Amino acid sequence: MEKPFLQSVCLKLVYKGIFRPVLKYYVGVQYSDCSFLKDEKQFVIIANHNSHLDTLSLLASLPNEILWKVKPVAAEDYFGNTKLKAKLSRFFINALLINRKSKDGSCSAMDRLVNAIEEGYSLILFPEGSRGEPEQMSKMKTGIARLLAQKPGLKYVPVFMTGMGTSLPKGGLVALPYNASLHFGKPTLPESSDPHIIMEQIEGDFQSMIQQFGIKDDDDDD
Amino acid sequence: MLFPTQSEEVILTISIILITLAIVSAVLFTIKKIFPEKNLKELENRTKSWWIMILIFIFAIFINNLASYICLGLLSFFAFRELYSVLHFRQSDRSALLLAFLAIPIQYTLAYIKWYGAYIIFIPVCMFLLLPSVLVIKQDTHRITKSIAMLQWTLMLSVFGLSHLAFLLSMPKIEGFSSGGHGLLLFLVFLTEINDVMQFLWGKTLGRHKILPNVSPNKTWEGFIGGLISTTAIGYFLRFLTPLEPGYVILTSALIAISGFSGDVVLSAIKRDKGIKDMSDTIPGHGGIFDRIDSLSFTAPMFFHLVYYIAYPHL
Repeated sequence: MEKPFLQSVCLKLVYKGIFRPVLKYYVGVQYSDCSFLKDEKQFVIIANHNSHLDTLSLLASLPNEILWKVKPVAAEDYFGNTKLKAKLSRFFINALLINRKSKDGSCSAMDRLVNAIEEGYSLILFPEGSRGEPEQMSKMKTGIARLLAQKPGLKYVPVFMTGMGTSLPKGGLVALPYNASLHFGKPTLPESSDPHIIMEQIEGDFQSMIQQFGIKDDDDDD
Repeated sequence: MLFPTQSEEVILTISIILITLAIVSAVLFTIKKIFPEKNLKELENRTKSWWIMILIFIFAIFINNLASYICLGLLSFFAFRELYSVLHFRQSDRSALLLAFLAIPIQYTLAYIKWYGAYIIFIPVCMFLLLPSVLVIKQDTHRITKSIAMLQWTLMLSVFGLSHLAFLLSMPKIEGFSSGGHGLLLFLVFLTEINDVMQFLWGKTLGRHKILPNVSPNKTWEGFIGGLISTTAIGYFLRFLTPLEPGYVILTSALIAISGFSGDVVLSAIKRDKGIKDMSDTIPGHGGIFDRIDSLSFTAPMFFHLVYYIAYPHL
């Protein structure tokens, strides 16, 4: 793993120089402190997914020094369906493209994740798979648990975001200003090497974050 | 023109504010030195935020005329965004909300070009009719009544109400009154904020009888009345910032205290309904933007129309 000079400068410029202030002042994203990530050698960020703003806000909040080695995992059939799009995603989002419906067996999604981890990259994963409805979490897929089971000692960081889907939902054209927020959990080691138990652990983390930060629908009473 | 000249009265008032704040900071600093075990974090945070807010305010209002309107427009933008974010609108309200955001630059442009007739009806009439019409296009009728009502109310409070601060700067010159719009704006904002502080201080020291315990448990009759008297007295001494006769200054200052209190408790009631303590955590020690300007969103239109009625009869 070598630090790509040009790309790392570009990422800093785009995410720290442009997206961070735009997300903060126009959209109203309230960042939470994640400078502790600097002290972690490697990690997998696990986040809920409701909007394209998720990836942008996550990258915009990461510490400068590690920005270039954190790769958001993205769907190849969406972000890489043309050669140009794949190139741009790899460069400007630093994306690790995987095939959601891999059939050909050339290089399975899991292999690519494992390879990236072995090369030393950290990852951002959205285990729900797709963006879904705003402020609702769909069932998380188990790939993340299998990855953590395969790589003992790899820490995960749960991140819970609110308001992103309200600001820019699936199919929305313009981001609506909306006070959205990010909440970083602590870097955590899986308690077991059994994917089922790891999955339960992750789901538990998210349940408590939803309890604490989730937006409650107050319209149930009438 | 950068930093257009201000009247002596305006400069004097700003100096008084800055000196007062400097004294408060110095006292806090001394107390901390003598009693290091005392926990003054919240007070320190508040004072620090006051410094930042006052410096931004001075900069925004006095740097340049156009910049003042832009800064006040931004204040409306942040306030509107914060307030509607806690009110739970529906997915299908997006286009109407976007349109409501577009109303902000229009409203402030109307104030800037001093077109009073259009400025005063744009939100209460034009947007009042337009927004529900746009909401209906989506044909999602489930709880549409709530969206229609909340949207107009949010816009009235955070854009129409606050834009009166900007129109104060557009008021025509009155002969023999040199402070002009800047004087009026300074008078209104200073009195509103000092009323908040005075109510807080009187309530802390003398507060016994709760005034609206189910809305805001910390508000007391002693705080309210103490604030009312202090604010009226301070307003009387600062009457040189307004073109009003002494009797009218007393009336206006008292009404600022009363409407400021109303704005405060109305927003408290909404926070209570939504189960939140603060609107957001933008300003350390204070909470969100609306936790600071809740009173101002009520005092601004009240003060404007009162002064307009008393001192500008021929407009």
